[in-house]
Amino acid sequence: MGWQIALYILLVVALFIVGLRLLRRHEKRHPQKIQFSRKLEPYLFVMPVFVLLLLAFGYPLINSVLMSLQNYKLIQPGNIYFNDFGNFKTLFADRDIGLIIRNSLIYVVASVGLQFLLGMTLALALRRKFRGRGLYQAIVFLPWAFSAFVVGLMFRWSFNGEYGVVNDLLMKLGLISEKIAWLGTPGLSLLVVILAMVWMGVPFFAIMYLAALQSIPEDVYEAADIDGCGAIRRYFAITLPYIKPTVIMTLLLRTIWVFNSFDLIVVITGGGPANHSQTLPSYMYTRAFSGYDFGLASALGVILMLALGIYAVFFLKVTRYNKAGDF
Amino acid sequence: MKKRLMALMLCLALLAPMLLAGAGASGVTLRFIDVSPSPVRQEYFEKTFAKFQEETGIRVVYESVPWDDAANKLTILGTSNQLPDVITTWAGWLGQFTSAGWVIPLKDYIAGTEAEYTDTVTKLVWKGENELYGDTYTVPDGMMVKGVFVRKDWAAEEGIALDPAKGWTYSEYFDTVRKLTNPEKNRYGTSFRGARGAFDPLFVYLQTFTGGRAYADDGSALFNSPEAVAAYEVWNGLYLDGSAPKDAINWGFIEMVDNFTGGLTGTLINDSEVTATCIANMQDEQWMVMPMPASDVDGKIYNTINSPYAYSISANSQNPDAAWELIQFLTRPDNNIEYCKLTGLIPIKKDVGDDPFYGPDGYYATFMQQLNDPRLVVPCAFGPFSYTDMHQGMMHEEMQKYLLGQQDAQTALGYVAGELENRMKQFLADNPGSAVEQPKSLSD
Amino acid sequence: MTDRTKRGLSTTGRVLLLAVYLLLVVLPIYWMMATSFKTHTEIIDAQNLTYFPQEVTGENYDQLFSMYNYGSMLKNSVIISSSTAIVITLLSILGGYAFARYEFRGKGSMLLFFLLTQMIPGILVIIPLYVIFANAGLINTRFSLFVYYLVVNLPFCVITMRSFFERIPYTLEEAAFVDGCTRWQGLFRIILPIMFPGIVAVFVFAFIGSWNELIAGTIFISTSDMWTVPVGLKSLIGKYDVKWGVLMAGGVLALLPTAVMFAVMQRFVVEGLTAGAVKG
Repeated sequence: MGWQIALYILLVVALFIVGLRLLRRHEKRHPQKIQFSRKLEPYLFVMPVFVLLLLAFGYPLINSVLMSLQNYKLIQPGNIYFNDFGNFKTLFADRDIGLIIRNSLIYVVASVGLQFLLGMTLALALRRKFRGRGLYQAIVFLPWAFSAFVVGLMFRWSFNGEYGVVNDLLMKLGLISEKIAWLGTPGLSLLVVILAMVWMGVPFFAIMYLAALQSIPEDVYEAADIDGCGAIRRYFAITLPYIKPTVIMTLLLRTIWVFNSFDLIVVITGGGPANHSQTLPSYMYTRAFSGYDFGLASALGVILMLALGIYAVFFLKVTRYNKAGDF
Repeated sequence: MKKRLMALMLCLALLAPMLLAGAGASGVTLRFIDVSPSPVRQEYFEKTFAKFQEETGIRVVYESVPWDDAANKLTILGTSNQLPDVITTWAGWLGQFTSAGWVIPLKDYIAGTEAEYTDTVTKLVWKGENELYGDTYTVPDGMMVKGVFVRKDWAAEEGIALDPAKGWTYSEYFDTVRKLTNPEKNRYGTSFRGARGAFDPLFVYLQTFTGGRAYADDGSALFNSPEAVAAYEVWNGLYLDGSAPKDAINWGFIEMVDNFTGGLTGTLINDSEVTATCIANMQDEQWMVMPMPASDVDGKIYNTINSPYAYSISANSQNPDAAWELIQFLTRPDNNIEYCKLTGLIPIKKDVGDDPFYGPDGYYATFMQQLNDPRLVVPCAFGPFSYTDMHQGMMHEEMQKYLLGQQDAQTALGYVAGELENRMKQFLADNPGSAVEQPKSLSD
Repeated sequence: MTDRTKRGLSTTGRVLLLAVYLLLVVLPIYWMMATSFKTHTEIIDAQNLTYFPQEVTGENYDQLFSMYNYGSMLKNSVIISSSTAIVITLLSILGGYAFARYEFRGKGSMLLFFLLTQMIPGILVIIPLYVIFANAGLINTRFSLFVYYLVVNLPFCVITMRSFFERIPYTLEEAAFVDGCTRWQGLFRIILPIMFPGIVAVFVFAFIGSWNELIAGTIFISTSDMWTVPVGLKSLIGKYDVKWGVLMAGGVLALLPTAVMFAVMQRFVVEGLTAGAVKG
């Protein structure tokens, strides 16, 4: 059947080319009717992408929503029925659900916030050329190139209370007098995960903002300088508006990714101790898989999507992305 | 022109990975999945499969998944009816597999050959499976016995005398742990497990007060009596009074073993498999194995015995007979003993002979001795139902909350006991004619 | 404060920031590399933490290739990640261009749909996809991972490409149309050369997204000869011990292709994306 898929792809590509060809011919023959063919063009361009995504995500999306409303336990394959939001009720009845939701919020706000601040400052600092900038960038953007699992393991090992390098360094520098049980203390365990996420994620923001900053023409800054504009006002009045679309998009996307991520948590702390570093996605991953309760897992997934959806709409409205002329 | 070029590139790029894709299999082929792969195991299995192919003409493909992801992967495989013919199965998963109908019963295949297997297999493993799930579902790959690994050198320094043949009680064990703790030398008495799996050794300890039983005949829990609650506090007291590092509340297997071999802790309760790690990473004068402590109440040694990667046949297998042939081949005495030596397990067939590897002077002496000890009793498992979700969550989370001071012992134990009791009673109600599991010993 | 002092302060501030940040990034990487050159005994020695290997050994790297078959993992990862990145780049050029240059009905909802795909938890997509692949006989093929990485990384790359396109003023193309170019020619001959840094950036992001992915790699692949690098490294975590040294060695080596790509990319992205070049 693999060949059938290949044939399908060839067919799509062929249709695409033929479609374009037909359009061109139509244009040439009916110069005054360009409006219509012009209208079709964008659809042709996006079609490959859109169709692929629809196929890949459409079915899982619908299926997940359906499963979330059912009692779907793998170990009882004959016992599937619609259970009247029972899964959602079970979720919210969990004693730790308040803690987990709170952790998710802290986790997202803190890590995305820090990544954004550090990434932006880094991009600003790197704007002006200096000797060795190329090499510096090559090194400083490396954390993004690591596999989350390797980073997670490294942080887990380094922050180990007994033989971790962090405690050793801190004690040698005289900053603490006795070892801190990073991964065993509520609050601190979440902090370690946040640190790992920030370490990995800053390059993403830095690269995107650096690219965006490059497109601001120099003469605008020169004019501002002549007018005696201070650095801070310059940033808020000139720089930020120019790169606003990029800022909005990166913040939005990164928040969604971080909110949905769980691999760092699962590797570094396993959600512990006692669920103090557990977030909604990691909870979904451990519970759903181990409980073989796909109904429950899907319910969690639906909640995640709803939360993110509401956030996205709200965020875009508030930042007036539409008015910036890009939607 | 450029358009055509781009289209061509697109096609090539899409097709190329497929052309380079791995080859599909054809003919009578079996799939075998290993849930704890390592270069050593892979080499052994591939070599043995080659031998098997020579003898029977059946080809076997070796599939593997890292241990950490094994449970999840098997779930997905099971859901989509794609389980390989032969699955290496951890005992803890059998509850799910049997409830979901993913593995087939093996009694008919085994019929007539029971005499070849050691008493440990017939009287403990298979008896247990039949009691729990109504039939035999696995053939053990090798037996795993728990023991207490101890830093011999530290014990000598503190003047503690340890005699494996005599054994010790839990009180003596706790005492040793406290004596070995020495903050000045940065030593802790025990590799305390606080994260996933934390409740397992604790459950065994609680059962030393109930004669190895977990439930009464009607399904109510026996392990949350006031005695048991006090024992719960004693066990966790080891962490609370500093015999384990503060970090241990979130320790998994990795940290536990790493810390023992790395010289941070003095004792470690674990399976015989860990022996290989000790041999590789420590000097002989540094460590020894003591049997599991005996109960303070009735002097019996309660120890769980199971096989880590038992062979089972999947329900969606197209060639169950061929799969059984493979299992028989793998468990043939010559193959089995080679495998067990490589992986630190105890052979399952009686034909082992008097191999000095497992003799009184070998590394596995204490484990073998426990198997032959008349005091040995295998306590009950958590139950015949699926409990993996509790194992991944509630069982250790409630204990952690107790250690953090967020709730008292009775509440912590109460939650876990309550849930297990519910499931047990539900199981008995759904399966009339079934009975609660009984503890087992070799002298039955 | 005089202008000079202000500038002096801002430079010092900048230098300080850059230096501190470099330290924070380099420390963990150094630790990884140092560990990869230590013997296993030295690594797990809980009483003695060494910052520089007592005995520098290459045995971890050696074992990586001889015992753990790292070469085959690298091969698989390179093949899959490269094809994914190439196809994604091509598709996102098309898609990004359409979103940037046209107004059409359904544009907003389509973009929302893209965002929505990012919100779906990965596992909920992997499981149905697994069933489909299993029925198609595509399990344990590089193609399965290729498809998954493709659809997962596509939305982000299209959106990013779109924002790069937007930075180029339409006047450039208009000038080309006046000269008689068609849209296609306009796209290829004028826009793409200027866009090249952006294209490189998208390629690199797509490559890294596929290179480092772990979960789908574990699920869709069953035999160890098809393992990608992250899956293979994960197998170094055994039930009872972790081969730290070999793991760190593998992690360091896995960095190399992506590090090289970063080095190449940042030269373009930083120094090349000057879209303000409207000539005449």
